Amino acid sequence: MKDLWRGLRAILVKDIAVELRARQVLPTMVVLGMLIVFILRMASESGSASAGAPVMGAAALWIAFLFSGLLAQERSFASEQQNGCIDGLLLAPLDVGTIYLAKLLANVIVLTIFEAIVVPIVMMSFNLHVAGGWLGLAIVLLLGNVGISSIGTLFSAAVQLTRTRGSLLSIVVLVILMPMMIPASFALLVLFGAMPDHAAGSSPFAFVGSFHAAVGYMLAFDAVFVVACWLLFGIVVEE
Amino acid sequence: MALSVCSIRKAYGTRPVLRNVDLAVPGGQAVCLFGINGAGKSTLLRIVAGLLRPDGGDVTINEHDVRKHPEAAKQQLGMISHASMAYPELTVHENLTFAARLYGVPNRMERIEELLAGTELAPFRHDRAAILSRGLLQRLAIARALLHRPTVLLADEPFTGLDAGASDRLLAIFDRFVRDGGSILMTTHDTRMGVRCCQRVAVLDKGVLILDAMKDQIDSDRFADDYLSYARSKS
Repeated sequence: MKDLWRGLRAILVKDIAVELRARQVLPTMVVLGMLIVFILRMASESGSASAGAPVMGAAALWIAFLFSGLLAQERSFASEQQNGCIDGLLLAPLDVGTIYLAKLLANVIVLTIFEAIVVPIVMMSFNLHVAGGWLGLAIVLLLGNVGISSIGTLFSAAVQLTRTRGSLLSIVVLVILMPMMIPASFALLVLFGAMPDHAAGSSPFAFVGSFHAAVGYMLAFDAVFVVACWLLFGIVVEE
Repeated sequence: MALSVCSIRKAYGTRPVLRNVDLAVPGGQAVCLFGINGAGKSTLLRIVAGLLRPDGGDVTINEHDVRKHPEAAKQQLGMISHASMAYPELTVHENLTFAARLYGVPNRMERIEELLAGTELAPFRHDRAAILSRGLLQRLAIARALLHRPTVLLADEPFTGLDAGASDRLLAIFDRFVRDGGSILMTTHDTRMGVRCCQRVAVLDKGVLILDAMKDQIDSDRFADDYLSYARSKS
């Protein structure tokens, strides 16, 4: 446990120091996020979508988090490729899973900072009100953040460290994230007052059930994928 | 044995790179491994370091199996490779601090100062790794490898990029490391330098160890000349 904490802290402090110096990830994320929000805001001005501001706002948030998050996570192992730094990490007397957990934590922190910047902008742009409470919003965003980061971190390692180039892996990440994005979208719609707490009938979210069930799905998704990715990381990084 | 390599086999696809390689290095001995490009030297070092999984065979470092007890084995191991393993955005001191934290080095500031002085990197401590020359990066890699006081040192082409003075200082560091009971397994294409700093030489050819002899059993000058002729004929 002491080794795990030592490794986590060392890698996390190093990643934050590298990002503060390079300023590569967060500014790029913010620019991409703003572009996505701007485009969707313009789209919501059209007559057919004018009534759906909360729907467009929820969509803008998740699309911005997904694509900006994947962009950031791709960089998280790119920095380890320079000068063979990944060998330096793998030579350390740590369980390889510790490297994954440290990178995951760093990605969650970066995405949380991004969320703190983007959420108020989206709220103002789409004139949104959090009907379901700010704590609920924070929980849903954090769970979405962990889900996106858990898979994004593993696939970043796969892409960067195994010389498997190409966009196919990004598509795979998006497909794997789908089971979480459906309850996540439902939860945001409920929080923004665009849907009743209990989806039923012909609603595409009928299978989700309620807001609490959606949060439960997200929690289960995060738990399964954090553990699975942590276990798979050793296989991915081993040549 | 400080380092023991038993029947190591490795193939990339259908091409065998190492064929049942056996090598044991006791404490207080430096072994220099020669071989032309593609002979399997770097692959062997990466397997010993636990960075590459062999197809068969075992590696132990001070009785710790590299596959079964990697953390214990890696705590005993230092490695200087082709790459510096330094983060370009961080300074020399920050790179060493990060490595010291990873290894849980006690009294890390004192140890870092000791190594900065030993590798003559002290004047460059606040310089980012991105602006260091190849030779200075190599010195940083050496300091990083020795930071946690390993007992086994793997060195893949350690003299690359070093000027004559820095090479002599590295020789002195290796000499002190061996005198203190450490073991070194190194590879180099610089035959004379390799023979000079080791007690034992080995030659790897197409994944097979074709020579493994103590330096006092061979004529060093003749070995260097013969090896150069052999390498030219193979390449």
